[in-house]
Amino acid sequence: MKQQSAKIGVREYVSIAVLMVGTKATEDTPANLYSQVQNAAWMIPLLSAGFFFIPLYLLIKTMSLYEGKDLFSVIKKILGKYLGFMVCLVIFIINSFAVSFDTRTYTNIIRSFYFTTTPTLIIYAILMFICAYGAKKGLQHIGSVSYLIVFYAVVSLYVALWLGTKHANINSMFPLWGPGAFVLVKEGAQKVTIFADFFLLTMVLPYLKSNKAFKKGTWFSYIYICIQISMSILIFVCMFDESLGGTAYPFHTLIRYISLGHYIPNVEIIFFIIWIMAAFIRFTAFLYINALMFGNLFKIKDFEYLIPSLATIYLMVGFIPEAPINVSLQFKPIIWSTAGPMFAGISILLWLVALIRGEFKHAKNKNIM
Amino acid sequence: MQKTKTLCRLLLFFLMLCLLSGCWDREELEDKAYVIGLGLDRSKDKDKIKITMLLANPEVGSMQGGGGSTEKPREIISFDANDFIAAKATANSIISRNISYELLRIFVVSEEFARDSSFSTTFTDVLKDKEIRLNSYIAVSKEKASQYFMNNKPRMETRPHKYFQFMVSHGIENGLIPDSNLFRYFQTAERGSDLFLAMYTTAKRQKDPEIKREDEYTAGELNATGELDDTQFIGSAVFKSGVMFATLTGQETRTINILDDTTDIKDILVNIPDPFSDNKKQFAARVMKTKNNKIKMNLKGITPKIFITIPLQIEIMSNPSMVNFAKQKNQHIIKKHIANHFEKGNIKLLKKTQTELKGIPYPLPVYSKKYFATIQEYKKFNWVKAYPRADIHVKVDITMVDYGNRTRNAKRLGE
Repeated sequence: MKQQSAKIGVREYVSIAVLMVGTKATEDTPANLYSQVQNAAWMIPLLSAGFFFIPLYLLIKTMSLYEGKDLFSVIKKILGKYLGFMVCLVIFIINSFAVSFDTRTYTNIIRSFYFTTTPTLIIYAILMFICAYGAKKGLQHIGSVSYLIVFYAVVSLYVALWLGTKHANINSMFPLWGPGAFVLVKEGAQKVTIFADFFLLTMVLPYLKSNKAFKKGTWFSYIYICIQISMSILIFVCMFDESLGGTAYPFHTLIRYISLGHYIPNVEIIFFIIWIMAAFIRFTAFLYINALMFGNLFKIKDFEYLIPSLATIYLMVGFIPEAPINVSLQFKPIIWSTAGPMFAGISILLWLVALIRGEFKHAKNKNIM
Repeated sequence: MQKTKTLCRLLLFFLMLCLLSGCWDREELEDKAYVIGLGLDRSKDKDKIKITMLLANPEVGSMQGGGGSTEKPREIISFDANDFIAAKATANSIISRNISYELLRIFVVSEEFARDSSFSTTFTDVLKDKEIRLNSYIAVSKEKASQYFMNNKPRMETRPHKYFQFMVSHGIENGLIPDSNLFRYFQTAERGSDLFLAMYTTAKRQKDPEIKREDEYTAGELNATGELDDTQFIGSAVFKSGVMFATLTGQETRTINILDDTTDIKDILVNIPDPFSDNKKQFAARVMKTKNNKIKMNLKGITPKIFITIPLQIEIMSNPSMVNFAKQKNQHIIKKHIANHFEKGNIKLLKKTQTELKGIPYPLPVYSKKYFATIQEYKKFNWVKAYPRADIHVKVDITMVDYGNRTRNAKRLGE
């Protein structure tokens, strides 16, 4: 594969990150957060970002010791061959389930709002097929496509939210502390999963032009996304008020409600097209990263050939829940409550081990010499 | 090798082309019958409801069908059904085309059914059908909804979707009917702390209605004669937790609409008693509201205190007592008088909501949220119980845009 040697720049990396994590505001995450902390849901992304900042910072610091190595190689180097393999395997498995249930969520959204009579399996298969096709094209293609559409995705999100604010009342964001500050902190710590994707994005580090670009891109997109998600949820809260609790996918309810004046009343199709392109990119990137992990775990060099089969497996796993309600109430909460804290734990563990083994000192000495 | 590759690409291309048609959800415009209005009544059978569908003929009034078509612009069918979702299939035994709720503009519920306690559970089905949009309106008709649609024969606007769109949006702009869409209905029901207003309508004119001031009517009371449609949209029906229990006149609805910052009123034309005239003359004025109200509350203690400041812009349109507004003194008098007039109206209405309705018909409780730190405290305050004993002060801030376009008095003949 020729594409493997080609590298992506900061802007492509940032676009991938924005599309991968930023789209979380447009699925069932806001409803999920609202059911826990009601009108203070907009604070959770900010708090979680704060909590996940430390592990991510430590992880990037540890990664910088090994210039141009990806996450799995670093884990194996630090934790040893066997323990490292186990940790990597666990990450891969959790991520696989996450992809399965996330794709199923998107399929549910598409089916319940836009293609109401098409069988779920057909929509799901088409979604997976497109993502697998995109992922097989390689990271450079994913990067350039995301750079192409990220602008439209972000602008359309803002336009939709702006139209939504016309029906919003800012006072709905109060009482400021929601169910109480303690509950907020607890929820914020648990919901670090929102930013877990940044942990996974360290897998693509070797494909970036430099470590510095990676660092810059990560921090920029991290701060931007945490503001974007928080702001979107704030607008949903102000608009839906207490009925947000019963709204599974607020973004889609919003774009069906808003209109451009009296003469263009039904505008959701414009937003839907852009949204679905962002969704494709999101899962394309996810699939690629998963294939990368699998290839790294079992030492398969041409891992791109694995993508179609992985996609098929994810499709089959994602098809296990019978109805949309099972996905969001039974299967997803497991991922939600484990993935984030676990990834944070692994990051801190890596840093600790590296510190104890004196890797940081070595690096310093090397620099001095 | 190159050939097979090209062939594969071509095949893929054609496959994509097939997908573009939308698989199972392919829809033909020709094959659809669009329901514009849906009427809901209580049925004779206890467990069922009576459904009336107002179907629009898309061909009438379109560019192509302009002259020659002899088809009617609409079709109305009524029948008993369990709910209005499955009723789409039942209706197909009468209507040849596939029934769709995608362009549903308005729900008309008969007053009898809206006052029934089973109404809110029946109506929640709206959320289940994805074809129904939350920006369609809900109206309450005095008579049965099935009769309402039959009697409603607009003369100028034969296309029913245009008729309801114009009627409702201009009514809301004038403030005579509330902006009662489904989104607001469910939002209010979920909040549970305030009342919901739905527009009040009828297609039956009252016999010998009395003559009142320009906005004091409710639906059906306006005594209009001539060659006209009997339908009237004015006033509102008050809902508590999803069930109707009272009505408000056009004037009261207007006052609420001015109080409520979330509705989209434009400029309103009103008559105000002239302070310079001794024989109860009234002058016409244009009222505009461009800024939001200022609301302050003091919720500690037994009687909660609420201070509302309403900014209004006034343009005087007529001058029956021929006062010279160039004089500072007169300007002062009229300004004070208008402010007084609005304050009185607001206080009278708010008193009524406290004693008769026992609830506030617009989202005022939301403004109190910032005075609480946590949800528990807010819930403990309990708006439903606290509101009737609240002490409400209203202040109207008048900005004069214009005192009429004449600065000097017109000379009377022979003077």
